[in-house]
Amino acid sequence: MLFPFSFIKTGGFDPDAQAFFDRVTTAGGSLTTTEKNATKTLVADLKAAGLWSSMKAIYPMVGASAAACAQNLKSSSFTGTFSSGWTFASTGVTPNGGSAFMNTGLNIGTELTQTNSHASFYSRTASDSGAYPTVIGAYGNGSYTQAIDLYIRRPTPGDKGGGQLGSFTTSVINYTETDARKFAILSRTSATSLKYYTTGILRDTNTTSDTTGFGSVTAYIGAGNFQNLSAQNFSILQCAFASIGDGLTDTQASNFYTAVQAFQTTLSRQV
Amino acid sequence: MIGYTLTPEEKDLIQGQYYTPYQFLNCVQDINGVWFLFLSDEDKPEVAESQYYFILDLPEAEYIPPTPPPFPPTE
Repeated sequence: MLFPFSFIKTGGFDPDAQAFFDRVTTAGGSLTTTEKNATKTLVADLKAAGLWSSMKAIYPMVGASAAACAQNLKSSSFTGTFSSGWTFASTGVTPNGGSAFMNTGLNIGTELTQTNSHASFYSRTASDSGAYPTVIGAYGNGSYTQAIDLYIRRPTPGDKGGGQLGSFTTSVINYTETDARKFAILSRTSATSLKYYTTGILRDTNTTSDTTGFGSVTAYIGAGNFQNLSAQNFSILQCAFASIGDGLTDTQASNFYTAVQAFQTTLSRQV
Repeated sequence: MIGYTLTPEEKDLIQGQYYTPYQFLNCVQDINGVWFLFLSDEDKPEVAESQYYFILDLPEAEYIPPTPPPFPPTE
């Protein structure tokens, strides 16, 4: 039986989702049908909410392998590399808190604008360890300024979430957290607007002007990159999603949480 | 935390070397300056198949991290 062309189902994915699947396969990884469908929906949701263009790097952490989890959903740039010491599972990737980090290859000094930037991390672990663990970190100079530093439950100075997008001496957020299992977003939309969100809700704001800029250093996940010299502040929080990009408004942060939480729910790994 | 202990020469040999296309070896020093390497259960079979298989035969010991410097540094 013949059908008019308009009834022919292509069955294809969004080109950006398909390109990501192709990168995973080329790298030697594989995704389940559920992971592909969840990722396809995530891409559609991010585009519908106007968030896609704000992203430089998106790591969905699907595929339970280094080859798959290293891939950037947004583009073929910033493919990550993992140090030894990570555990890969269908629920995400877990660093060992002592030596493990992922180098995103994204130079915050050349790829981002400090006064218009964000970092996000979906944690499936309740508590972090060590003194100053960071989940996304890049320290552009020896004073730990010109930096990205996102943490969700840093034991020192006492279970704080937040961090800096610029200089901690100028503007930093330390919001008290009792459980690190959440999607955390640190966003700066201007020199005077640094905001910290969890589960899509604004938790704290710092309005002190900060134009310190970002240093030329690549962002690490699971630790902080100290001037491209060493990894510091190792975390143990399991990562089920991470992103780096332009600053997000309150509405965008809320929509971002909704999209990522739906993604995690489809994968049965939501917290 | 248990890890493999390395001499400085062994550390220099493996530090930053890739054992899969997306994974590289990273060593850290303990409180006494001894070099350690930590491998997850997923890492071990990959390392065993690489030219760095000898790591799996290195002695293991308990790792005590160095005291972290003040962070953020005090002004």
